[in-house]
Amino acid sequence: MRRIIGIASAILLVTLLVAWWWTSREPKPIALTPTLTGQVEYCLTCHSDLQEISPSHPVKTFGCVICHGGERLALNADLAHSTMRGGANPSDLSVVQASCGGSNCHSGSEAQNQDHIQRVMTSIQSTYAGAIANIRYSFGAQSSLKAQLGIFAVTDKNNISLQAFDPTAETNPMIQKFGTNCLTCHINATPRTEENFNRLTGCAACHTPNIDSFPKGQIHKLTTAIPYTQCNTCHNRGNYDLRTMTFVERTDQPLPNDRLHNYYQPIAQFTKCEYTLDCVDCHTRTEAMGDGQIYSKKTDIQYIQCQTCHGTPTQLPLTKTLTDPNDIAFRMAQLNPVVDLKIGDTILVTDKGEPLWNTRVLPDGTYQLVGKATMQTFAFKPVMGSHCTQNGQDQSSAYCHECHSVQR
Amino acid sequence: MPNPTRRDFLKLTTTALLAASGLLGLGGLLRFLDYQTEPPRKTDFDLGPASNFPMDSRTLLPDVPAVLIHNAAGFSALSLVCTHLGCTVEQNADGFACPCHGSRYDKNGDVQRGPAAKPLRALRIELKADSTLILHTN
Repeated sequence: MRRIIGIASAILLVTLLVAWWWTSREPKPIALTPTLTGQVEYCLTCHSDLQEISPSHPVKTFGCVICHGGERLALNADLAHSTMRGGANPSDLSVVQASCGGSNCHSGSEAQNQDHIQRVMTSIQSTYAGAIANIRYSFGAQSSLKAQLGIFAVTDKNNISLQAFDPTAETNPMIQKFGTNCLTCHINATPRTEENFNRLTGCAACHTPNIDSFPKGQIHKLTTAIPYTQCNTCHNRGNYDLRTMTFVERTDQPLPNDRLHNYYQPIAQFTKCEYTLDCVDCHTRTEAMGDGQIYSKKTDIQYIQCQTCHGTPTQLPLTKTLTDPNDIAFRMAQLNPVVDLKIGDTILVTDKGEPLWNTRVLPDGTYQLVGKATMQTFAFKPVMGSHCTQNGQDQSSAYCHECHSVQR
Repeated sequence: MPNPTRRDFLKLTTTALLAASGLLGLGGLLRFLDYQTEPPRKTDFDLGPASNFPMDSRTLLPDVPAVLIHNAAGFSALSLVCTHLGCTVEQNADGFACPCHGSRYDKNGDVQRGPAAKPLRALRIELKADSTLILHTN
């Protein structure tokens, strides 16, 4: 009996020593109690070297788990990561509501301009509803160009709904092929594998630019300073060939910093400001993220024209003097502080009232724009008072380009 | 025990192993029971002698975080936690500014610009009999 007790105690002792040795090998936990949740989490034990994702989301306030999910108290990597949302990308649209939503975050009220998720989920860049409607109409699967199907089922703020597009339910082989080959550009699509298309999905498709410049797996950045190269991961990378229903990548691949050749497809006419500025310098948040309504084509939501900034021979562009400290222009300038906006500053606004917060009307009647991604300052003048003889009513792209296009 | 027998040696070894196992097991149990995954937050801060904070001073207390104000009305304190989402606001010439989402507060902590909707929280200051100050955040 004593022998058995002795052996059992020896085994217990060895087991305890092994357990002690094993736990002593584990990293000493680094605890963080974010202000927002008040719950301790140990993610920084392994991720303390990760850069802050943005000035608006400091880790001290948000922590990691509120966005990423995961097991906050686990020290084992597999266990800690087992319940993360969206893998390494919590902004993927499949999980974005749980990760980024909330009335004080990105699914708040429209009046407070905090309805980002509702906007993006119904945006034509997410639903791809226009392209789907166009193809289905062209091949006789629907009787009008009005959007009926989207990448996912969604209902907009006016209770207009899209059903989910299912290529396998289509009878026309060309529509099936479209479903197989041509759904690579909407915000939540898995990007094509070629280097120039490399991007993330969801919010990060736009707000996490230049992912190739980060070591693999260490991308931790959100910004509203979005360079044109990020837009180019979808736009200007080629064309869909409708005869073969395949994507044909453009063959002229200029150097990354060659804006003149990189910016527009070779078939397009464009002006100097179009390639020296970044897309986000002119196109507004509503154009890019939507306004919470479902549209059937891009031109229903994209409304910025040359006259928005330059006016016409008979009319100056619309302006607004900032008097309300709660004007959204201040919040947008706060997120990307390329300008120091103050009460009393006069800026340009669109005909829908969206502030072009990175512009300024100067005392001499000319205008200034600061690039959101480049921080470069550009000076420009109104058309009124110039020698321009355009018809102010004709704002088609080709009309201004007729005189002002750049030759490559 | 001048000439321990083999039996004595085995008995001693067994007893020692049992004792060591028991102690280790007890140690592990105590460690398990004592382990706090979520240590309680500090809510009372001893600020030291009140004389360290002269009249008309505004002293930042980054560990709290708060600002201690000493004026003709006496001692008062404002939390520096933004009432929007909880970032730490920064003091400037006009009052306080939140570096996260741009909320602005005046010197009294009242909202000047959103998205914050509520003023900075006033914290309780206690002047002890020995003239030291205690700041309470709860």
